[in-house]
Amino acid sequence: MSTQFYVSVLTVAITLKVMLLACAYLILLERKMCAWIQNRIGPNRTGLSLGILPLRFHFWGLGQPLADGVKLLFKEDYTPLNVDRPLFIAAPIIVMIPAMLGWAVVPWGGLWQSEGWMWPTWIPFIGGGSVEPFNVSVTGAAINIGILYILAIGSLAVYGIVLGGYASNNKYSFFGSLRATAQMISYEIPQGLCVLIMILMWSTSRADFLVILQANSTWNLFYHPLLAIIFFTCVLAECNRAPFDLAEAEQELVGGYHTEYASMKWALFFFGEYMHMITGSAFFALLFLGGWDLPLVHEPAVGGLAWVALKIIVFAIKTFLLVAAMIWIRWTLPRLRFDQLMRLAWRGLIPVTLAMLLITSAFVYFGIENWIYYCVANVIIFFTAPLISQVIPTGAPVNRRVPLAGSRFSPAET
Amino acid sequence: MANLSTIDSISHYGPIVVLLVMAILFGVGNVILTTVLGPRSQGPVKGMAYESGMNPFSSARRRFHVRFYVVAMTFLLFDVEIVFLYPWAVVFGSLADESALRPLFLGRVLFFLLTSVVAFTYAWRKGVFRYD
Repeated sequence: MSTQFYVSVLTVAITLKVMLLACAYLILLERKMCAWIQNRIGPNRTGLSLGILPLRFHFWGLGQPLADGVKLLFKEDYTPLNVDRPLFIAAPIIVMIPAMLGWAVVPWGGLWQSEGWMWPTWIPFIGGGSVEPFNVSVTGAAINIGILYILAIGSLAVYGIVLGGYASNNKYSFFGSLRATAQMISYEIPQGLCVLIMILMWSTSRADFLVILQANSTWNLFYHPLLAIIFFTCVLAECNRAPFDLAEAEQELVGGYHTEYASMKWALFFFGEYMHMITGSAFFALLFLGGWDLPLVHEPAVGGLAWVALKIIVFAIKTFLLVAAMIWIRWTLPRLRFDQLMRLAWRGLIPVTLAMLLITSAFVYFGIENWIYYCVANVIIFFTAPLISQVIPTGAPVNRRVPLAGSRFSPAET
Repeated sequence: MANLSTIDSISHYGPIVVLLVMAILFGVGNVILTTVLGPRSQGPVKGMAYESGMNPFSSARRRFHVRFYVVAMTFLLFDVEIVFLYPWAVVFGSLADESALRPLFLGRVLFFLLTSVVAFTYAWRKGVFRYD
């Protein structure tokens, strides 16, 4: 086993804990931000004093996730009678697994170079031993197909949702999972095309190299601003977040695919959703915002422990800001209708990303590397695509708008 | 950076296995814990599916709109197409400028994309992407 393995396992272990804590506190942040947007205060009563400190220490409601977790664990875990029992129990676990696997390849800390050291003798087992000089990637798994790995694991999330909706034997759950499936697989195509364009531009599918290459030139956000918007839209749709939360539209489908779930099983669906949000945001930061790159600070690609710490902090801040933007969008924009949603994916995003793929491959063929050309191409597509869509012939409308007067629904005549 | 690209080995997938075990333990552990800790009660009305207070009239596993099957089929078409393009994308940019393979690579992929654009246009004209 190499040094890389030990560093990776340590990174995975720490990141897992941070992720679980972050998911719990994101739920609090979501409720707080919702409250701020709606001019309320939000949860502020559950403190961390645990009955020891006087009640006036309320810690701004920071104890809320803890209380929620304990409450959910002690709730009745009810399984309705008409469900498919094995699948019903397996579905939340199957949602949880890809959500927890997805972020394994995110290069949080870049490359870490160290001189090696001697362990002090008082440490049991390894004391007195020495560590050779090493050069490792501070990430969960330093694999060559890193970017494809995030995409592949992310698309596994649909299985848990389908199984949850199918096993519940409830019409709301079933329609919720149908909608979620159609939506997630539709938005996976433009997302995959965006990733393809990034791989084509930088000729690598390794996550940490992609960040280094962006840090050495310009962020992909400036190369492909339009693709960044499209990718963020796809991330929102893949996480089933508003304005694409058709699968759990309360007015139509009660709770969607998790209508029949209770207690910790229900909470696992939510953990999965929030973890997908974090993974999606980290993926966006990695692809478009230059990962750990801080503007105006020239970080070395391979650095010591201080640089690694700085890179982790910068990456985490970018991810947090994107997650906060997702929450902000949820409480600001109204939900799309299902036909609008599918039309946006199939008639809007896929042709635009295909056109961008053609343009980018031509640019790569002719060796154009200046970001201004890419940016101009993006802006041109952004303005011409709506014009072209006006020219495309549409078929006869199916849902015609019938005037009330004179129709068979008119209240005036019988 | 060239020598770094060779450090990839199968042992780098080890942490993913560790993470997979942790994820399975977390999921299964939570489900078992909440089953053990929570109260339990049964009842015929409680066991019904929750459909906003209506009595459920039949199983939910019924026929659904054919549109969803068509979405799945078109998705398969495009997803497989994109999967074929990934290896091309990794190699294409790193080919040498004077390499004779570059026009060949570009031409073949353009033809491949053309066939899928034809398929896309056909599906569009057939009304696959109409959801009204």
